[in-house]
Amino acid sequence: MSSILKDRHLVPPSEYAAEPPAPRTRSKVKRVGFWVGALAYLVTFLIVLPLFWIVLLSFQPSGNILSNPFDLSQLTLDNYINAISQLPLLTMYGNTILIALISVTVGTAVSFTAAFALTRMIFRRKKLQSALRYYLLAGLAVPVYILLFPVYRLDLALGVFGTYAALILPYIAVSIPFNTLLLTGFLREFPGEIEEAAIIDGAGLFRLCWSVVLPLMRPVIATVLIFNVVYIFNEFPFASILINNPDLVTVSLAVSRFQGQYSVDYGGMMAAATLVLVPQLVIYAIFQRHVIAGMTVGAVKG
Amino acid sequence: MTWISSRWKIALMIAPAAILFSLFVIYPVLYSLGYSFTKFQGFSAPEFIGFDNYVALGSDPFFWIALQNTVIILVVSIVLLVPSSFALALLLRTAIRGAGALRALVFGPAIIAPILVGLIWVFILDPKIGLLNRLLAIFGASPVQWIGGDTLTPYMISIVFIWSSIGFAMTIFYAGLQLLPQDVMEASSLDGASSWQQLRLITIPMMKETFGIVTILMITNVFKIFELVYMLTGGGPVHRSETLVSYMYFVTFTNQQYGYGMAIAVIVTLLGAAASIGYLALARGKKEQEA
Repeated sequence: MSSILKDRHLVPPSEYAAEPPAPRTRSKVKRVGFWVGALAYLVTFLIVLPLFWIVLLSFQPSGNILSNPFDLSQLTLDNYINAISQLPLLTMYGNTILIALISVTVGTAVSFTAAFALTRMIFRRKKLQSALRYYLLAGLAVPVYILLFPVYRLDLALGVFGTYAALILPYIAVSIPFNTLLLTGFLREFPGEIEEAAIIDGAGLFRLCWSVVLPLMRPVIATVLIFNVVYIFNEFPFASILINNPDLVTVSLAVSRFQGQYSVDYGGMMAAATLVLVPQLVIYAIFQRHVIAGMTVGAVKG
Repeated sequence: MTWISSRWKIALMIAPAAILFSLFVIYPVLYSLGYSFTKFQGFSAPEFIGFDNYVALGSDPFFWIALQNTVIILVVSIVLLVPSSFALALLLRTAIRGAGALRALVFGPAIIAPILVGLIWVFILDPKIGLLNRLLAIFGASPVQWIGGDTLTPYMISIVFIWSSIGFAMTIFYAGLQLLPQDVMEASSLDGASSWQQLRLITIPMMKETFGIVTILMITNVFKIFELVYMLTGGGPVHRSETLVSYMYFVTFTNQQYGYGMAIAVIVTLLGAAASIGYLALARGKKEQEA
């Protein structure tokens, strides 16, 4: 799979950015008529419409949702009061952030050291080096669904079931193949002169990695971090199997229980959904360019 | 580099990743493969039964329904999503005021958790409370069983999948369009080529690789659809809207037929891999033919 994709993931993130490399390209794009613009706005509106619908419902009194959802005269905040009283917002966000923070930090760190060794360090047997790299990359072809049951048994056997580690360990492990792909791709083209100069200056392995190589890898590390944070924030299948303790509930897990929890309190359910949706969209709006870059470079994960 | 590359230093650098990956990815794959040849329900020891699970799949009507639904979702999604996201990339690349903001908005659904996407669309598609039937009612049309009926659910799952992926696919096309050499376009304009000719004869042929990437990505993503089914119908009624992955989940974790569930998981993995490899081979064969 990699050959066709190889060139693509090495395209620097700026090429994926939402904004075109402005004036130069823009001036060459043909001027277009009013109707093309109108069509673009209409399509975008239709795509965003479902989100507006959810937000509108979240302000509707429950009676209106079933009888007359388009009525805008009785909008209320009651749903939010209900939703917040039933929703362990702090717990679910706290858990998700903690799990994401540890998984992503450790996952990136171990992937980096491995990628460095697999591309820059000198093996006595070259074949072993590339075999190990392909071994880690083979994980790209593994869908998480085949891992769910075995990882559940493994967590039980290791005695971590019911703790944060139950989720953190598989999250780290499934991030390694993709991280390795991106990091080795970058490190292969890393200029050797910089390393040599650092070593001549007396840098050891740790200082070489930490103070010389890592700072130069900031863009690619940022991509890895964003991709993994988005994945873990949205992850559901693992969480649904490996978390059975209400104190450890993650955001996705909480959302999956809304239908049961709020039952026919549709307004409350929509308020709860909005409370999860809006922070995510705000963070996306702030880091929009980086998120799009991070996720589309991540497009090769499959 | 040689003198910092002692054997134990290399081992130390690779070991954490290699151990975690082996323990939580490779070992589980082998474990699933092994258990797919057993009858195992958790309480007693697994019993080796050879290919019986795989044979049983052949006569399991729910498995065939799940497979059929997965194929419907795959075909509908790819056929609609690839051309429409490409068209959208062309549209949002034109000199429209605010095109950058429109692209960011269109990408938006891609960052929403799939489980939340499912919940949002319940309130669009649900026959009783959904927006669609509300709108139909305004026009006096009778309500449609968009989800939870006999036939429409997999098509609706495609629609939801397309909604959440179109901005993502569009962005990849957009990036590809940005990389096209501008001078070719200018030269052909000077030669009097119309926009349509440029699109058909230059842009699309030059974007072939990007089309391949988007198609493969979307195929592999369709095989991962799970949360949408979980939220929209839970696979019901009576497993009629199940996909392969959601049926595997049901068999394994609700019915606790672990051996049988693992057999389905193995099939899903192989189908996903085969679809990608098949497409790649096809794309490569075409490329060589032309070369």
